[in-house]
Amino acid sequence: MAGAKSRIRIAIDAMGGDYAPGEIVKGAVAAVEKDDDIEVILVGPTNTVEAELAKYDISRLPIRYVNSDDFIQEGEHPALAVRRKPNASIAVAIKMVKAREADALVAATATGAIVTSAIQFLGMINGIDRPVLGGPLTSLAPNTVILDLGVNVDCKPEHLLNFAIIGSVYARLFLNIANPTVALLNIGKEEGKGNKLTRETYPLLQKSGLNFIGNVEGNGIFTGQANVVVCDAFVGNTLFKFMEGGAEMIGNYFKDKANSYPMLSHLLKGKVKELMASLALPDSAGGGLIWGVDGIVMKMHGHSRAPDVTIKIAQAKMVVERDVVSCLKSELAKIRKHINL
Amino acid sequence: MSATEETVKDIVVKIVHCDREVLTPTATFQDMKADSLDMVQVLVAIEDEFGIEIPDEDAQKFQNFGDFITYIEAKVAEKGNA
Repeated sequence: MAGAKSRIRIAIDAMGGDYAPGEIVKGAVAAVEKDDDIEVILVGPTNTVEAELAKYDISRLPIRYVNSDDFIQEGEHPALAVRRKPNASIAVAIKMVKAREADALVAATATGAIVTSAIQFLGMINGIDRPVLGGPLTSLAPNTVILDLGVNVDCKPEHLLNFAIIGSVYARLFLNIANPTVALLNIGKEEGKGNKLTRETYPLLQKSGLNFIGNVEGNGIFTGQANVVVCDAFVGNTLFKFMEGGAEMIGNYFKDKANSYPMLSHLLKGKVKELMASLALPDSAGGGLIWGVDGIVMKMHGHSRAPDVTIKIAQAKMVVERDVVSCLKSELAKIRKHINL
Repeated sequence: MSATEETVKDIVVKIVHCDREVLTPTATFQDMKADSLDMVQVLVAIEDEFGIEIPDEDAQKFQNFGDFITYIEAKVAEKGNA
């Protein structure tokens, strides 16, 4: 880390996300106003970023910008766009992490573009095939990590084995579970259930040396039947968005009922808030660290607003401080001694 | 089979998790069951391994594994002659 105060340097794709650059820049300014230990480097076309920054007094703030000639536009094929546009903002920002000019990247850019750039410019950690997004899905089961929540829609059995290993490391590092249980998300508990992917993954996990406890069904997630649950991102992302929509619907339902039945509202006062808090999605869901790439890359929701950006920058700082990538590498080395890859 | 082809096959098998036997000259990337992330990883690994650059415009033209090998062999030879 450079700089007189040795701040943690977070590069941000100023052009990524539904509300970029306005909300991204606003959130970045708020992040450095809140925490003097963070330096933010906004990456995007100079004119655009300068125009946004001009709205704030940043004269005493540790915030600067780096020019990129281009950026990935909505609707572009992410994998191709990154290779076609090596000077796109996301690529420039990731190259800064590679060159150790930034300690981490935060981006609300399309997942495919972030992942492709990360693979291309940072590379994968040795022994990991695919980047993956994961974390606890619901506060009702805080000790259950689900992977993949959003990167690999079509998976091979080896990918799910990778996710199980990363999930086990996650559970050890962040949940302090020494020997996390691992399960395969399926439509039945018995071996042999499911589709081709789950049937072929089962024996791989069984002989992996991980603490594999078999299949778990969707309803087992809420009851925390396993510490690590693996699935492809088609299932994981559907699950996550179902949860997101469900939590919102339940909240609206209670609000409607409270309006219609004031007595009920009085009786339930405080309880509804409690219920909603327990249903709330942890911040890891739908965003968070992209595990497996050789550097710290944090994905934000595409629809992130300024407060979300500020939170994610603070989380990126925490991930840098915990040296998560090195921890993953050393945990992988430990796990490798006990598993059959 | 050239040493270059052998190395490319090693890389593809490791990244795509396909059977080596699938990698015939007429095999398409669909035959290998490679998705776009696999392809990015393969291209990056090959660029690193041989110290060559494969522009995206070129990568778009490969119809099958045979085209891919021919292109890489030419690039490697070109680099050797430079």
